[in-house]
Amino acid sequence: MDTMAAIKQTFFQECEEQLAELESGLLTIEREEGDAETINAVFRAVHSIKGGAGAFGLDELVRFAHTFETTLDGMRSGKVETAPQIVRLMLRAADTLADLVRVSRDGGTVDAARVSQIGDELAQAGGAQPAPAAPVFEPIAMSGDQQTDDFGFAPVMISFDDLVGGTQADGGQNGFAISFKPKPELYAKANDAIRLLRELRRMGEAKIRCDFSEIPLLSELDPEGAYLSWHVRLSTSGGDAAVREVFEFVEFDCDLSIEAQGLGGTDASLAVEALLVEAGIKESAPAPAEIPALAPVPRQTSATPPQLAAVAPPTASQGAPAQGAQQPSATIRVDLDRVDRLIDLVGELVINQSMLAQRVMEAGIARLSDVAVGLDDLEHLTREIQDSVMAIRAQPVRPIFQRMSRVVREVADMTGKSVRLITDGENCEVDKTVIERLADPLTHMIRNAVDHGLEKPDDRVKAGKPEQGVVRMTAAHRSGRVVIEVADDGAGINRARVRDIAVRKELIDADAQLSDAEIDDLIFAPGFSTASTISDVSGRGVGMDVVRRSIQALGGRITISSRPGQGTTFTLSLPLTLAVLDGMVVTVAGQTLVVPLTAIVETLQPKAADIHSLGEKARVVAIRGSFIPLIDIGSELGYRDSEADPLQSVAVLVETENQSQSALLVDGIIGQQQVVIKSLETNYGQVFGVAAATILGDGRVAVILDIDAVVAGTGRDHANRKRNAA
Amino acid sequence: MRDLMPGLISLPSQLDIKAAAPLAAELLALRGKDLTLDASAVEQLGGQCIQVLLSAAATWAADGAELAVREPSAAFLEAAETAGLATSDFCTRNN
Amino acid sequence: MSKVILTVDDSRTIREMLKAALMDAGMQVIQAEDGVHGLEMLESSSTPDVIITDINMPRMDGFGFIEAVRGNGKYRAIPILVLTTESVDDKKERARRAGASGWIVKPFDPAKLVSAINRVAA
Repeated sequence: MDTMAAIKQTFFQECEEQLAELESGLLTIEREEGDAETINAVFRAVHSIKGGAGAFGLDELVRFAHTFETTLDGMRSGKVETAPQIVRLMLRAADTLADLVRVSRDGGTVDAARVSQIGDELAQAGGAQPAPAAPVFEPIAMSGDQQTDDFGFAPVMISFDDLVGGTQADGGQNGFAISFKPKPELYAKANDAIRLLRELRRMGEAKIRCDFSEIPLLSELDPEGAYLSWHVRLSTSGGDAAVREVFEFVEFDCDLSIEAQGLGGTDASLAVEALLVEAGIKESAPAPAEIPALAPVPRQTSATPPQLAAVAPPTASQGAPAQGAQQPSATIRVDLDRVDRLIDLVGELVINQSMLAQRVMEAGIARLSDVAVGLDDLEHLTREIQDSVMAIRAQPVRPIFQRMSRVVREVADMTGKSVRLITDGENCEVDKTVIERLADPLTHMIRNAVDHGLEKPDDRVKAGKPEQGVVRMTAAHRSGRVVIEVADDGAGINRARVRDIAVRKELIDADAQLSDAEIDDLIFAPGFSTASTISDVSGRGVGMDVVRRSIQALGGRITISSRPGQGTTFTLSLPLTLAVLDGMVVTVAGQTLVVPLTAIVETLQPKAADIHSLGEKARVVAIRGSFIPLIDIGSELGYRDSEADPLQSVAVLVETENQSQSALLVDGIIGQQQVVIKSLETNYGQVFGVAAATILGDGRVAVILDIDAVVAGTGRDHANRKRNAA
Repeated sequence: MRDLMPGLISLPSQLDIKAAAPLAAELLALRGKDLTLDASAVEQLGGQCIQVLLSAAATWAADGAELAVREPSAAFLEAAETAGLATSDFCTRNN
Repeated sequence: MSKVILTVDDSRTIREMLKAALMDAGMQVIQAEDGVHGLEMLESSSTPDVIITDINMPRMDGFGFIEAVRGNGKYRAIPILVLTTESVDDKKERARRAGASGWIVKPFDPAKLVSAINRVAA
């Protein structure tokens, strides 16, 4: 990747951070918890995006950011008040800015009318007069190709006005008479008269005369005063602008006059002097205190502007520039591939370690022997390494939470509801991939919460609730998993309506007896949609079934709980990582399987009296008064033809996503173990009932059961629910 | 600045704005005696130190003492020349 | 001897652009993320020939940083170039008053950047 492309990538990463900063700052201001520094930070975020966008010639982005920044600057200086409607406008502007960033990065188009409308509103809020047009920057041609010249040689467009006729065609030289008297301030700002004179000498032939008549005796001298003045006659191919540029930084810190002499030709006096010297009439030695520059820069032989000649090309003698670079930053950016490779290797290490431990045990070495103790230590270390490596991939959920506040705003706007989003636990860390894949399901859940969960303001008032609804999104670590809750304080699930819809859509039989929880759970059923019309908001053709499936694909679970009149809470429980899993290792028909520990409720030994047959093949086991379907894993997965004898088996009681329980019949339990997940799909495609595979301590490959698939596949999932063959 | 021997001091390498006041003080303390400035170590010579050196030359001339610069470094010469000055401008002219 | 430049900017993008341009011109680059960090880098790294600083930064902005450098006997002779987004005159004026030696207008042209450095530290 060339340098500029790499920097551009950095820019877009930084934009994301700045946008997050911007939004959280504005939200803080909205809550009236902000102070001057909050406004500063918000301003800086927009300013920073503008600065980078300018460098890459992203004009539209620059223009909008400029308007935005101008208004924020007004807010910073107190000219624009932080009224609620202004802050809301700024939040919308932040969303638009995010859109523009995204379009700049990914291509596509933005709603130009919306952009210009918000731009106008911003300008209006910023003051009566429209915001000044942002300067549109030319993108900088930076060569990223290592083989071509360095930046110093990038061609630069220079107007011929700068050259004032000094083109090489006529070999024209411009003459200037420059008087220059520094003030003490010039020196105090670390500028120096000598350096400026040196720059003039680089431009061409300079005759420099120093006037030191004002210098006092040492006892009277202020060492940091300014007593010298200079008179320079310069003959250069450069123009007036180039000469003035030399003094650009010091024009207020000196007395300066620059006069052009003899445009388009060589300065007459210089020419005469040269002639006289040539004729031997005059000594070539310089007059006292007036010496010509001894080594004038050779006249330009190309159209390169003269000031560029001063740019020294980097040479080998200057050493490799890379050596000088210092990175004070406490973070490093690492290619994700490298981290994943490390994770893979650590996974192998874990497997290797457990294999070794097993061999040692098999060899009959005593538990307290040095070897065994050493192995225990090794196991500890391995686990620690694994945790540390996993932590590299872990990221706070904050960015996703911040994105949700925009979703809430948009849906609230569209539905005419007033909503406050409260978030907590943004610092909770989860695996990067989990976070990435959470965005869509969470977006959908938040949309649902605002669109379907919360009542209209009137209805809320009628119900004795505050007009503004609250959606609360929290994240927390709970026993090795991350739990995310999305809760609204709306009316709760309308169970009668859900039931009606489910019956109408033939998801359940009209006379089915369902508990409240089971009714609530119906909204996850494929093909169910509680909205009577597909609104603009929740539309997009996905329902909660898709949400559930994407959460399951992450090894997570989603559950719902609802209380009439008080609201609905969705609870997501996700693994911290996709790479390891706590499982129970079981045997079935000579095969070794892993059951995810999160799905297991308990294990038990069925008694003959508890087993009941239902119909032809189906069997249930009575556990504490409820009848739980028995699933014979061996025959379900095709490991054996005959049915297992429940009395010779162990029943593993598992719970699926929708909280229905089943008892899996297995031959025996080997034990609990943390296993490294190896995806089977990449190699074999999806296999029924199998989520993934792992390698056990003894080197055998074991499949990890996909409990939900197994249970759903047997059709015993929900006695009352009609099977959806799809 | 080091006293190499009576009447001879060595100018420091960096004669920037920070060096002007110490240089002036050092020279002032040596006022009245013949003095030679060894400029061989000078790497940077700024406008304000040039002022100090020119002032010293004027002061020594007024006092009737001698001030000379010896072994000016290339950097010293280049800076002086850029300022439109010659080494002789930093010395008392008694010939 | 190649010049050592301290760049002080809270934007990673600008820091990287400065670094690319300066290193291509054979200079060495020390980076800092804000004024406070800039002062720390001055203490902990080799003294730079030139400082390039942004104005809008958290913790300590460019004005505060320039004043701190100018007020420090050890570092006050270091030329400081200010990065400004446009040629906004009042920004330049404030930077000048704070003691900046010059300025660079963002987005900067690498050639202009190098020529500005040469003008303050030839």
